[in-house]
Amino acid sequence: MMKKTMFTIFAFAFSVCVVLAQNEKYSQAMTASIQALNGLDKTKPDPKALQDIANQFERIAAAEPKEWLPKYYAGYSNVILGFIGTGLDEKDKYLEKASALLKDAEAIAGKPNDEILVMQAFQSQIHLAADATNRWEADGAKFVEYVASAKKVNAENPRIYYLEASSAFFTPEEFGGGKKAAKPLLEKASQKFAAFKPETNIHPDWGKSETEWMLAQTNQ
Amino acid sequence: MKFFIYLLLSISPLAHAQKTVSGKITDKKGHALPGANVFLKGTYDGTTSDANGIFSFQTFEKDTATLAATYVGYEATEQKIGLKDNVNDISVKLEELAKELNTVVITAGAFEASDEKRMAMLKPLDIVTTAGAAADITGAMQFLPGAQRVGEQEGLFVRGGSGQETKVVIDGMIVQNSFFSSLPDVQSRGRFNPFMFKGTSFSTGGYSAQYGQALSSVLLLNTTDKVSNNGLGISLNLANAGLNYDYATKNQSISAVAYYGNLKPLFALVKQNVEWLHEPEFKGSSLTYRLRPRKNGVLKVYGMYSDSDLSMNSRDPASESGKTKLDLQNKNSFVTSTYTDSWKDGRWSLNSGFSYSRNNDNTTLAGFNFNRFDERTQARIVLSRLLSGNNTILFGAEAHAIRLKNGFDGKFYDLKDRYTAAFIESEIYITRELAGRIGLRTEYSSILKDVNLAPRLSFAYKTGKYSQISLAAGQFYQNPDYKYLYTNKNLGYERADHLILNYQIIKNQRTFRAEAFYKNYAQLVREFTGQKYDADPYRFPWGETNNAGKGYARGFDFFWRDQKTIKNFDYWSYSTRPSTTS
Repeated sequence: MMKKTMFTIFAFAFSVCVVLAQNEKYSQAMTASIQALNGLDKTKPDPKALQDIANQFERIAAAEPKEWLPKYYAGYSNVILGFIGTGLDEKDKYLEKASALLKDAEAIAGKPNDEILVMQAFQSQIHLAADATNRWEADGAKFVEYVASAKKVNAENPRIYYLEASSAFFTPEEFGGGKKAAKPLLEKASQKFAAFKPETNIHPDWGKSETEWMLAQTNQ
Repeated sequence: MKFFIYLLLSISPLAHAQKTVSGKITDKKGHALPGANVFLKGTYDGTTSDANGIFSFQTFEKDTATLAATYVGYEATEQKIGLKDNVNDISVKLEELAKELNTVVITAGAFEASDEKRMAMLKPLDIVTTAGAAADITGAMQFLPGAQRVGEQEGLFVRGGSGQETKVVIDGMIVQNSFFSSLPDVQSRGRFNPFMFKGTSFSTGGYSAQYGQALSSVLLLNTTDKVSNNGLGISLNLANAGLNYDYATKNQSISAVAYYGNLKPLFALVKQNVEWLHEPEFKGSSLTYRLRPRKNGVLKVYGMYSDSDLSMNSRDPASESGKTKLDLQNKNSFVTSTYTDSWKDGRWSLNSGFSYSRNNDNTTLAGFNFNRFDERTQARIVLSRLLSGNNTILFGAEAHAIRLKNGFDGKFYDLKDRYTAAFIESEIYITRELAGRIGLRTEYSSILKDVNLAPRLSFAYKTGKYSQISLAAGQFYQNPDYKYLYTNKNLGYERADHLILNYQIIKNQRTFRAEAFYKNYAQLVREFTGQKYDADPYRFPWGETNNAGKGYARGFDFFWRDQKTIKNFDYWSYSTRPSTTS
């Protein structure tokens, strides 16, 4: 009897050990990749390094099919790759990939997730910018829809306001955009960032420095 | 107890030696793919390929593992590898994803305007902004190679064919009277607002087996799925005033349009060579309702009513006074509803529709009264299945009930036709470079009491990264103009055979396209009046008729568009075609 109990205890301890090891491996790998991503030069990221980071996230995603975060970060990396890509074809390749990854993330999350919706809004914003004359109508509508859905899930998410602000910031003044129009939105984003705490240290926590940079620009 | 510790230790990954996995990743042609992701599935082990496509990484996995490779724009692959020892010199070859730029498209005879397809030659906005087209869809199409501008009649004239030989199709449904009724010497506008449509495809020949009853061409118009702006809009110019109202919620929307037009102020400014007694006055309204009952399902109901009224003196050298008086009142209504849906990630899709149209012309010419009335009820269903490798197969059927009346000075003629058709068509990608489309259409017309069988065939071959050639051939049948059937019920189908060879190159926003065509006409209706040809579109055919007419049209069309070098420079096209018909 005693032996049996001991066995159960050990078996349990062992399985917890394995799960913990796996969990630790996951959060370690995620933390390392997120750090690498944050370590890139924001204004001019090196495409090769960024591709490598995107690949890392994709590998984690393949090994952890129940986690939406690796898919989310792989999507994020591909959106940035799409942004810095040269030529419309190259940009679209990455942006299409990002869109597919985010769809996967959505399916894994299982319920409406504000961070994924924000990233989808970001993807449509960059997709629009790649060919603005032909895409402003369709992508603009998509952007608005994603932003509205994200607000519905969590109106406190600061990245929602950061995206709205950046969209205004980079829209020419004659179309109702510009620094002046962006300023109140940036201030709102800044407030929300001040109050924001990510759920864990691997949950999304980007956009603050970009907001501050833009805000500094509007104050000039 | 010791046993468990031993067990724990033995399971620990550190107890095993690392192995190296290395190799090279390339495309099908052997070009290195830098930046590709190579990894063992289900593990964290993997790497990114370097500038030469070389990869190398360490793993603690043993026995066998699945090596996966992904690269943006390419299809992912997996292969099993053994891990007893280090594995070197693995060769991974990836295939490019099928997409518009590397996959051939069947283009012979077709001009497409679309925002969604990058290979489309025109954007919907181009239709609105084409100079001289007056924001009229058919007006814009007349500028494309293969089409002719005929200023004095209604209809789209393609490659020597008459306006009757082109059918306008909205969401799959034939539109009975797509133009305002015409008058001698006056060009007629299309009835539809170009902003209603998201995609337009104009075929100048060799078109799909999904469509029939057009010897020359079809103009396919697809209505938009949603409204772009909410609220009330007003438009005003010299010729007309319009009001439109849009309202949309998440799953449904409604658009209403009403307009009134009068050409009097315009004609006062622009001198006319026609003497107007009552300048063209027209009014109309339309209502569109769209509902999205399911994720991919869209129901659209569109209804429109329009009428026009005018009176003029046209020059007539044959009459004593040198002119003929003409009055025309037209009333037209069209209701169509379509439902489209798809299932299983788009592998099955459905297009169905039902429509009714009615048109009434009341004309008085030189004191004689003519009345024309027509009515068409139609239903259509098409099911298509997406197979592996982008191959598709579709089948469908349509049925029309047509009723026509023609009155001449108190005498009335009446016609009824039940027309049914079935079709099957398959698009096959033999490789990414070579594709074919094979279709067969069969039709039965109760008034002709005859069945026809029309095969259609197209091939396209990608000759380079940006260029391709295509070939289209087929047989096309059409019922004779119904006015001939009033007096002769023994007429049969009219037929045209098309052969089209097309070359196009699209690179850097420049498009060049050359097309050679041969069109053979047979069994055309011929009328023997014993008099000289009378161009009056309103004359009633009194002469004896048979199906002995034949002829041909052949020629070249060129199309060149450059949006790169000069901003806002439009396209030009050139066509040459000797043709005869008798």
